[in-house]
Formats: sequence, C-alpha cells, structure tokens
Amino acid sequence: MPRYIIKRLAYAVLTLFALIMLTFFMMRWLPGDPFIGEKTVSATAMENMRIKYGLDQPVIVQFFIYFGNCLRGDLGISITYSRPVTDIISNAFLVSVDLGTRALLFAIIAGVFLGAIAAVKRGKFADSFSMFIAMIGVSVPSFILGALLQYFLALQLRKVFGITWFPIQGWGELKHTFLPAFALGLGSLATVSRLMRTSMLDVLNQDYIKTARAKGLSERRILWRHAMRNSIMPIVTIMGPTVAAVLTGTFIIESIFNIPGLGKYFVTSIKDLDYTMISGTTVFYGGLLILCTLVVDLLYGFIDPRIKLEG
Amino acid sequence: MQAIDKKRFTHIGESVHEREAISSYSLTYMQDAMRRFMKNKVAIVCAVIILILALMSIFVPIFSPFDYREQHYGHTNAPMGTVCDAEGTEGEVHIFGTDKLGRDVWTRIWMGGRVSLSIAIICAVIDLIIGIIYGGVSGYFGKTTDIIMMRFLEIINGIPYLIIVILLMMIMPPGMMTIIVAYSLVGWIPMARLVRGQVISLKGQEFVIAAEALGASPARVILRHLLPNTLSVVIVRTTLSIPAVIFTEAYLSYLGLGIQLPMCSWGSLAQTGIENFRLYPTQLIIPAICISLTMLAFNLFGDGLRDAFDPRLRR
Amino acid sequence: MSKRILEIEDLRVSFDTYAGEVQAVRGVSLHVDEGEVLAIVGESGCGKSVTAQTVMKLNAMPPARIVSGSIILDEHDIVKATSSEMRKIRGREVAMIFQDPMTCMNPTKQVGKQIVEAIRLHNHLSAADARVQAINGLEQVNIPNPKDRAKQYPHEYSGGMRQRAMIAMALSCNPKLLIADEPTTALDVTIQAQIMELLTEIKEKRNTAIILITHDLGVVAGIANRVAVMYAGVIVETGTSHQIFYEPRHPYTKALMRSLPSVDANKTTDLISIPGTPPDLLSPPAGCAFAARCKHCMQICKEEEPPEFTLEQEGHTAKCWLLHPDCPSAAERGDLSE
Repeated sequence: MPRYIIKRLAYAVLTLFALIMLTFFMMRWLPGDPFIGEKTVSATAMENMRIKYGLDQPVIVQFFIYFGNCLRGDLGISITYSRPVTDIISNAFLVSVDLGTRALLFAIIAGVFLGAIAAVKRGKFADSFSMFIAMIGVSVPSFILGALLQYFLALQLRKVFGITWFPIQGWGELKHTFLPAFALGLGSLATVSRLMRTSMLDVLNQDYIKTARAKGLSERRILWRHAMRNSIMPIVTIMGPTVAAVLTGTFIIESIFNIPGLGKYFVTSIKDLDYTMISGTTVFYGGLLILCTLVVDLLYGFIDPRIKLEG
Repeated sequence: MQAIDKKRFTHIGESVHEREAISSYSLTYMQDAMRRFMKNKVAIVCAVIILILALMSIFVPIFSPFDYREQHYGHTNAPMGTVCDAEGTEGEVHIFGTDKLGRDVWTRIWMGGRVSLSIAIICAVIDLIIGIIYGGVSGYFGKTTDIIMMRFLEIINGIPYLIIVILLMMIMPPGMMTIIVAYSLVGWIPMARLVRGQVISLKGQEFVIAAEALGASPARVILRHLLPNTLSVVIVRTTLSIPAVIFTEAYLSYLGLGIQLPMCSWGSLAQTGIENFRLYPTQLIIPAICISLTMLAFNLFGDGLRDAFDPRLRR
Repeated sequence: MSKRILEIEDLRVSFDTYAGEVQAVRGVSLHVDEGEVLAIVGESGCGKSVTAQTVMKLNAMPPARIVSGSIILDEHDIVKATSSEMRKIRGREVAMIFQDPMTCMNPTKQVGKQIVEAIRLHNHLSAADARVQAINGLEQVNIPNPKDRAKQYPHEYSGGMRQRAMIAMALSCNPKLLIADEPTTALDVTIQAQIMELLTEIKEKRNTAIILITHDLGVVAGIANRVAVMYAGVIVETGTSHQIFYEPRHPYTKALMRSLPSVDANKTTDLISIPGTPPDLLSPPAGCAFAARCKHCMQICKEEEPPEFTLEQEGHTAKCWLLHPDCPSAAERGDLSE
C-alpha cells in the first residue's frame, strides 16, 4: 500500500510539472508580446514586471520563476480585468465547484442506480429505458443539451404555459441549479450507467454469486451485499476522467446559463485573448484535475483489498 | 418385459462417420462475426444512417442550387421551406430556411457535414496509426521500453486533453488542419493503451508459443497471429472514437477556436445556432440533430461491431 | 436401514437456446441414502453438473427448464418448490461445492464473513456466536490458525485451503446432502487426496449423504460407495464401486475401464481411447446415445432407447439392449468384435 501511494504521488507531481511547463512554453510561443496590448502600461510598471518575471533572463530561468510563482499562487495579472488571476479564480471557483459537484453527484448516484436496474431487469422494459437515457447522454453534447433544455423547459414552458420552475439563466437559488446540473451531468450519467450495467452483468455471472445462491441468499441480498460492491469498482476507476469531463463541461454550460463560475471567465478570456488569464486558469484547472485524479486513485487503493495488501 | 423380434438384434458395429460428425458447418472468424453482425438490426440501421449522412454530405452541396457562401440580404433568418426570390435562384426552396446572413441552411448543413465527418475520420485514422505503433511497440518489446513509454503516456494523459487542445489552438491559426493536429496529439492515448494491453495478453497465450515452437519467425507471428486478434478491438475502438472527435470539434467551435467563417462545420453551425436560438431555434436544432444522430449512430454501430466480434462481451 | 435422502425419477432438463432446445438431461433416475457417497462420472458435457444444479435449482430458468420428472429431497418436492421455499432448502438441507474455489468465493470479502453469512441465514444466532461457529467450521476442515485465517481474503489462501474453506462454508448449517461438483479437478494430486480424505471424514462423522461429480475415475475408486455412469444426458449404468470397476456391463463403462492407463503396462502398450465424440444434444439420436461409438451396436440400438435392466446383483442396473433376455449370443448376431 505505501508503495502504491508514493507511486501515485510521484505521478501527480510529474504531471503537474509537465502541465506548467506546457503552459509556460505555449504562452511564450504566442504571437506578439503579451505586454503590448490595448492597455497602456506605465514604464515603471513594465520595468517591475520585467524584473518580476525575469524577462531578460534565459528561458530556463524564466521557466523556474514561473513555476515557483505558480506554486506560490501567483498566476499573473489578468489583462482584461487588471486584477490578479488568483483573485478572480478564488471568487468564481466556488461557484463552479458547486455546479460541478451537483452534476457529479447526480451522474454517479443516478448512473449507478440506472445501470444496476438495467442489469437486474435485463431484456425488460427498465433495461431498454435506462439504456435509452444513456444513449441520449452519450450522443448529445452537454452544451447543446443545455441550450435545448433552456429553450424548451425554461423559455417555452414560460411562454406557453406560464410555468416558471426553471429560470432561463442565472445563479443563486436552488432552482437555478436544476437545468445546468442536469445538462452537465447527463453525459457522465450515461457513461456511468452503461459501465455499471456491464459490470453488474459480469458480476452476476460470476461463480461466487452462484455460491451465494447455493447458500440460500435471496436475490435482493445477493444484489446488495455481493453484487453492488464488486460492480462499483470499475466506476471508481473512471472517476478521474469523469471529474475531468464534468469540469471541462462547466466551461460552456456556465456560458450558456450565465453562471458566474470559473468556466465563464475562461471562455471569455479565450475570446478576449487574455493570455495571463488563460494560462492561469489552465494551470489551475489542470492542477485541480491532477489533484482529483490523485484522490480517486488513492481511494481506489483503499477499496480494492488486493492493492491494500500487496501495495 | 415384452418379447422382441430377434431380427432387430442384428449386429451393426461402430458407425465411423456418424461418431465424428460435426452437426454445424464451420466458419472463419470473420464470417462468423459478419453473421452475428447481420442479426443485429440496430447496428445495421445505424450503418445505413451513417452512410446516408455521408452521401448527403458529399452530394448535396454539389447539386444544391445555392452555394454555401451565398448571402441573400433580403431573406435573412427565413423559416424552413421558404421560396427564394433572389435573382438567379428564383423559385428554389430553402429547405431549412436561411441564417442571419441569408445563407441557405440546407446547403451549409451538408457542407458542414463534409467538414465534420472528414475531420472525424482523419483524426480517427491518425489515432489508429499512432496508437497501433506506440501500443504495439510498447507491448511487444516490453521491459524497459515499455516502462518508459508508459510513464510518458501516463504523464501526458494526466493533463486534461481539452486544455492541451485549447492551448495549442491558441498558438496555431484556427482551421481544420489545426483541429486535426491538436486532437491527434492526445487522441491516440486510449488506442495505444488498448493495443498494448491486447499485445501483452496475446503474447503470452499458448497459440503464439505454439506458432513459435513450430518455427514461425517474429514477423510471421506478428502479422498472422497477433495483429488479426487485435484487429477486432481496434476497429471497435476507432468507430467509437469518431463521436469523441465530433464532440471535440463542436466544443472547440463554440469556444471560437474551430472552423472559421465562411466555412462551416456542424460545430460552428451549432455555435451560431446557440447564439440565436431564442428567436430562431431551428438554426440550433438542425445541427444539433446532425451531431447527435451521428454520435449516436457511431456509438451503436461500434457497440454492434463489438458484440459481433466478441459475443462473450455481449451485454 | 439408512434413510433415503434424495430420489430423482426420470428427470428431463432442457436448455432453450437461440439455436434450439438442447436436451441436457434425458431421463435420469438415481437415489442417495444417508451416509452414502454416490459418484456420478462421465465426460464433459454429459449432463452431470446440470443434474446436480437442478437438485438445488441453481441453473437459470430460463434458459434452463425442467421438462418432466421428480426430485424428492428428504420429503421436499423440489420440482414444485417455489423460490422462497428453495431459498430455505439451499444451504440448510443441501449444499454444494464447486470446481474452482478461487472464483467461487467473493474476492472482496473476508472468508470468515462469508461463512458467517451462510450460518446466520439459516440459524438465529448473534454475530459473535456465528463467528465462533464459523471458526469452528474452519478448524474442522483442518485449516490451521482458524481465528486469523477467518479474517483473511480468499486470494491469501492456497488452492487446497480454499476448497476446504468452501467445504466449511457448505457444511456450516449441517446439510443432509452435500453435492461436490468436480471438487478436485482444479487441484494438484496431493491436495486431491487431502480433500478426498476430508470428504470421507465428513461422510463418516456426520452421516451426510454426498454426491460426488467427477470425470476422474481414480478419485471415485477411493471414496464412492455407489457409482452412476452418465453419457449424453442418460445414466447408462449404476452400481456399487466394486461392480462398476470390476464387473461393468454397459459397453461404455467397459470402454472407460479399459481406457484407464495401468501402472503394470509396459512401454509399448498402446493407450486405449474411445474413438468419436458424444452426440449433439440439440438433436439427440433416436436410439441409444452410445450407438455410433459402440462395437456391439445392433439394429435395435439405433431405433429405440434401451430401458433399464437390473442385473444379477441387486442395485446393479444398466441401459443396454445386450442385456435384454431375447438378445442372441454374439455369434448368432454376427458380432465378431470380442
């Protein structure tokens, strides 16, 4: 087990390093000098920045300065907003986490249940219905789904029936969370439920389920005590990519629903070509994802007794 | 016990042919897989849908009375089925209406189809090639080569691919080539993993050892034994990676990093559609249907292929 | 006079597959008494496992289907039993151990907990008491350090130990009948001996009836009281161990015994096998299933399935037309094979 933890930590650190390196070099290759933009910068300010970022030093040194800055939390100043990137991030970040967590919980919990039902009632209506929903999630990109939901459930319901359950956009109350979280989570729900179904069908065919039946256990007990736990393992392994998918999905969903989260800032900074903002949020997002993946990997190590014992 | 006619006890002895009879005819692996696939109605329907979409994308822009760039200022945002009254194309119907610059949506959709589908196929093929080579080499040679190659892969994989793609798109001029290059830089990873896994598991199997024991050279082993067995998984994976590319292209287009005007792709059409959809929902719904239908069709088609090639995995 | 624990009469079980109806069991009758070991031997695919699993209704129904016949387990009518009745019977009246102990235990649960689960299912015991019983169970199957071992996971046990743990789990509720489906096929020969010894012990100490399913005749010779030889879904000969090994009457049984390699044979003796393969059960032959491979096959063998004939000693039966009283001698038939 300890060997496993160290291995995972090492990977996380290396990946973070690679990410920052990538971002750094990307920013260097951008056409134009980032400091000559539309905003006029005073000479002293320019001078200060040159010293701070070591712009007259060799590239390698610049990189390590950048790297150090990143780790300390200094991700530069946003060109559009003239505020430190970290400042902007810390405000908007929590909103995104809120949205993302709701979507993730929705995807995982509903996905597991849907998949389990589909497996147990294989071939019957419940199976086809669950897989139909999964198919929608897999084929309609989250942002298109979001836009469609916005149109049909928010706008049209309002216009035609006067139902105001779903606000068209905005954030702040519970009702604002339904549509965006649903649109964001459906794609992941689809993946989770399909995987759960396959996994559970596989588990239900295993010999030890036969043994459990031979002992006289009821089907329900077999499901909960033996099948569920073993079927969920593959889901845990895809948690990393799932979190990534949800996180990247927030970008556009926040844009569509006008939610003041980090994603919206990211999207606008791309449109505005606010390079420091882009690189800052990239490093932040990337780092966040690496952290999440690490947590998931460690979690998996605790759940699977084979890793627990052999490390 | 009732008496039985002694004649019925005539000796016959063993029936050599009957005892070795195999009741069903034998098929090659491919034939068997094809037979199974043909029974899967859903997959066949999907294959047909894909074919139709591809054919429409190729031929509609050629035969349409409108050019995809043609702008009719008098006729912007026209609803579906409007008759055109601009000079040169009087009487022609705008089957899907026009967009905010008066361009015929029907023509643009199928033009966009050309772009989106070609990007998808090209990326999938590049994935395939890089993935097979990387995974094959890593899996076959094993030991240090494998360890180094896999470490490298893990690190690249740790960085969310969309972020890499976005970063790359920022430094390169936007357009079709850029999307292809950007996606291909990271898209091969799942394929490489898959191929490597297959090669490793096949390497140790007895039929490979048996072939080697009979004196087969490594080349023969790879070509005639390892590769055909990886082929099925690889084909399935390629089919399933096409929806991923289409999704990525749509996503990038929304961010403004995709195909630039006046050229269009389903993603960029969806993006303009989202901007206007409150007033003109069809401009979003039509590309949305195209994208979703394609992704769905490829997904189900890929599932069908997988079931056909390996029925043990059947859900 | 021992009590009859299991009585199967003319059981027919089929599988409805997309290719058609596979008649896996075609008229099997057998019985087991208390403290008796009945071995069912036969080639792979002859239907022995299906028969055993049907006793506990463990096969998935669909696609499996009991076409006709009766199974009486100690006064319980298995064929007519409902699922909830079966659940009470399984584990308590009859228990089963399977071929591969590694896959048969949940890899993510401690062994002790799995045994406790079986115990608490059929007995009202507190968790602590059940645990004590589980540890006792492990001890009785000769697993050293049962207390520590109970907390371990299946992959930490050796192959033989796992099988013994399975046996402990099966016996935890003192069933009257234990069905062992190829218990030693996946194990080394030396471990095989241990498991067989254990089963003998169980038979003698607890008076449990045991059905031993195997294709290994050597294993049978050591432990079985009676043997049923199965071929293509039918039991072709039944008798005591001695009768089957030393006085086989059915051509298939005779061929099986001949095919056993002998330690005394010299290097140049050929190994004897039975040419051909068993028939396809999708369309089983009209007459005797062994006809195509039998040297003594007669016209009637291909036309009609032979009924069961009782032989000179009681309890020894076989299904072969050669045993019909009207059957003429070999010379009269034109049979020159012997």
